[in-house]
Amino acid sequence: MDAKDILGLPKTSLLIMQEKKSQPKKDSQRKPDGISRQVYALTGVLAPFMPSIDTTQLKRRPPSDEKITWRWLPFTNSARKDNLQLYHWVRGVNGVPPTGDYSFTKYNKMWTKEETDQLFDLCERFDLRFIIIADRFSSSRTMEELKGRYYSVSRAILIARAPSPGDVSGHPLVKEPYNVSQERDRKRALSMVLSQTKQQEFLPFHGIEESTLPVASNAGPEMVETATNVNDTVSPSSNALLASAAIASSTSVMAENASTLASLRMQMVQAASSTAGLRTIKLVEQTLQDLGVNLKPRVPTKAVCAEHLELRKEILNLLNLQKQLQYKEAEGSSFRDGSYTEMPGTPKRSHRDQDQTFVADSMSFGGERAGRRDQKRKGPGRFSEAPLLPTHKRPRKLKASDL
Amino acid sequence: MYGGDEVSAIVIDLGSHTCKAGYAGEDAPKAVFPSVVGSIDQMDIDDTANNEKSSSVDSKNNIKDSEKGKGKRKLYVGSQAVGFRRDYMEVLSPIKDGVVVDWDIVDSIWDHALRECLLVDPKEHPMLLAEPSSNAQQQRERTAELMFEKYNVPALFLAKNAVLTSFASGRPTSLVVDSGGGSTTVAPVHDGYVLQKAVVSSPVGGEFLTDCLMKSLKSKGITIKPRHSFKRKEIRPGEFQIVDLDIPNTSESYRLYSQRVIASDIKDCVCRAPDTTYDESAYSNIPMTPYELPDGQTIEIGADRFKIPDVLFNPSLAQTIPGMESFAEIAPNVRGLPQMVIESINRCDVDIRRELFSSILLAGGTASMQQLKERLEKDLLEESPQAARVKVLASGNATERRFSVWIGGSILASLGSFQQMWFSKSEYEEHGASYVQRKCP
Repeated sequence: MDAKDILGLPKTSLLIMQEKKSQPKKDSQRKPDGISRQVYALTGVLAPFMPSIDTTQLKRRPPSDEKITWRWLPFTNSARKDNLQLYHWVRGVNGVPPTGDYSFTKYNKMWTKEETDQLFDLCERFDLRFIIIADRFSSSRTMEELKGRYYSVSRAILIARAPSPGDVSGHPLVKEPYNVSQERDRKRALSMVLSQTKQQEFLPFHGIEESTLPVASNAGPEMVETATNVNDTVSPSSNALLASAAIASSTSVMAENASTLASLRMQMVQAASSTAGLRTIKLVEQTLQDLGVNLKPRVPTKAVCAEHLELRKEILNLLNLQKQLQYKEAEGSSFRDGSYTEMPGTPKRSHRDQDQTFVADSMSFGGERAGRRDQKRKGPGRFSEAPLLPTHKRPRKLKASDL
Repeated sequence: MYGGDEVSAIVIDLGSHTCKAGYAGEDAPKAVFPSVVGSIDQMDIDDTANNEKSSSVDSKNNIKDSEKGKGKRKLYVGSQAVGFRRDYMEVLSPIKDGVVVDWDIVDSIWDHALRECLLVDPKEHPMLLAEPSSNAQQQRERTAELMFEKYNVPALFLAKNAVLTSFASGRPTSLVVDSGGGSTTVAPVHDGYVLQKAVVSSPVGGEFLTDCLMKSLKSKGITIKPRHSFKRKEIRPGEFQIVDLDIPNTSESYRLYSQRVIASDIKDCVCRAPDTTYDESAYSNIPMTPYELPDGQTIEIGADRFKIPDVLFNPSLAQTIPGMESFAEIAPNVRGLPQMVIESINRCDVDIRRELFSSILLAGGTASMQQLKERLEKDLLEESPQAARVKVLASGNATERRFSVWIGGSILASLGSFQQMWFSKSEYEEHGASYVQRKCP
């Protein structure tokens, strides 16, 4: 029979049976309204401190005085040009079907001829200054939509008018079409960076990579995602250095190193060097090693740490100056050799150049050179700025053949 | 590129407080006078003249007796004419809430500026007019109509205030904070064009601050006697006594206007923008500054020196002044200057925000208040994004700040490359007044 009988153990099953009998009574007392018992049991049976869901709403039925009917009715979509008629279930209340256009029509961003005409008129009047065009456009279209429409139409016209597709395949408009979604993402990332006020800087690192601003180029969507490592991907090292100096990368460096640091004093060291980017920190540490100094002082007393910080600051300074010297020399040499050829560029290229050089300029130069920078940007000399940044990693499109 | 060309254009900037007019190419306007007019309604004069038969009425009005027209009125323009007290003279302003409501007054002001102050014949000079940064199409068309039809100017251009200020400082892109008499407007300018969707405006301007000061002084028991209401009689050699004049026919608006002139002088002399937000308790014990009123009375002004300018940064402070409680109903959503700047920049495209932050220009009469630039910069540094470098620029010279719009117009109208942009009379005749939208973007 039972193994327990063989072994001679007492039958405790009686007690279990008794417990099982009493439990259902307790549970049925505690069963809440609105949800079934099993669901309630999932929450751990104990009521939560704060009701996360309003359990009374869960099984709420529509008021019984309304009669809901469902009918299979035809509909047309005003976003379509033909008169295709499809059928779908329509919910009616008390026999009245809902009126109005198909509810998904509003998501169709259609361009009417009038809008396109107005866009091109504004483009001509304002010389493709899309910021102003977006401001003066009558219906509220975003700047990316306007740009997208303009470039796609230009592209279509170019391809249509070309004697053969091969002729225009080299044209920048045809080679890389304007990417609306990428521009939108870039702008969103940029606005997130710019909305971090000084108070927010001190909050814990949000996971938004913000060591430097995303550059306005078509170098690919990876630009937006890998912002921490942007020191390596973007532009000259001097740009990265000054850009990251201007922007709060201190939080990112702090967060990364917080776990590895043991003492408070070492955090001070990191704070001092945190105004520089990742690559510069590596250079500083390299220099320290070359000089024979330990990266972390063996005896972290106040005096020693202060001296160590001083040393780090001076090394940073030295590196800064070296980079600036390099940069200036490059600038000087390019001015001497530089090609001042005027690009018969398409508006798209000129616009992108403007964006690139503008953002690069704003990152590398201080605001004191605002006047000079503005003057430089006027006129045909604009394109001569391209060779000014020799280490500038130009996106693949604008190759040396363009210069 | 900055070639000048002398076409003897005239530049007129009609603000809500003062009108500035002069020749293009000069560095300051020749004619500066208040943009309010004194108006005597002829109907009133005729009635009272018949009733009273008194000879105290101005002789000029008797000539007009024959013109018993419907609402015909005589307008007195210019600081001299308005400053002289006349019976039944009302003080009227043509501009209400930034919009011109009375074109006759505007006409008379232009007439006074051109024919009496500058002594020019408008038929021979192209005209550059400064207009508010968010001017309605209808207003612009009306301006063009009036200029071409009545004054027969050969060419016209309407330029926005913010653009002219931007040009005066040599920048095509900037954020212009224009704090004038009637209002404060923050407008971004990009490449010489105003971004209209990002213009932010508030009714707190110089006149509002003057009103606050007047109410505040009144609540402290100080009455400002208008200059026309008393006479100084020499009772002994060297000693003067104030005698109040009995002038029952002075209109209420004139009396108020005269008081405002004195109050705004007090404001110009003693008021300073505080370094931090105004706190009633912190400023309760500061030393008072004396000021002598025209009637010889010396008043002491203490905390008001800092409280009044702080209304620009914190408009709700105005409600604490007795007599100004109604302000809350009039403008519930009015924000302070730093918030307006941030809001305006945030409405612009992301790519230009950094450049706007680093070139914020101050313009207008109220902007020449002491320490305003430093206070604005400090407030903005706190609220602006960390990534942006904030720089507020203002000309060191107070006159330049006051007239920066006019000076920008003077520069623009004398540029060689601008001469192709005039809206000419022949174009007006061919396309009509609505063409102004196209020619003056």
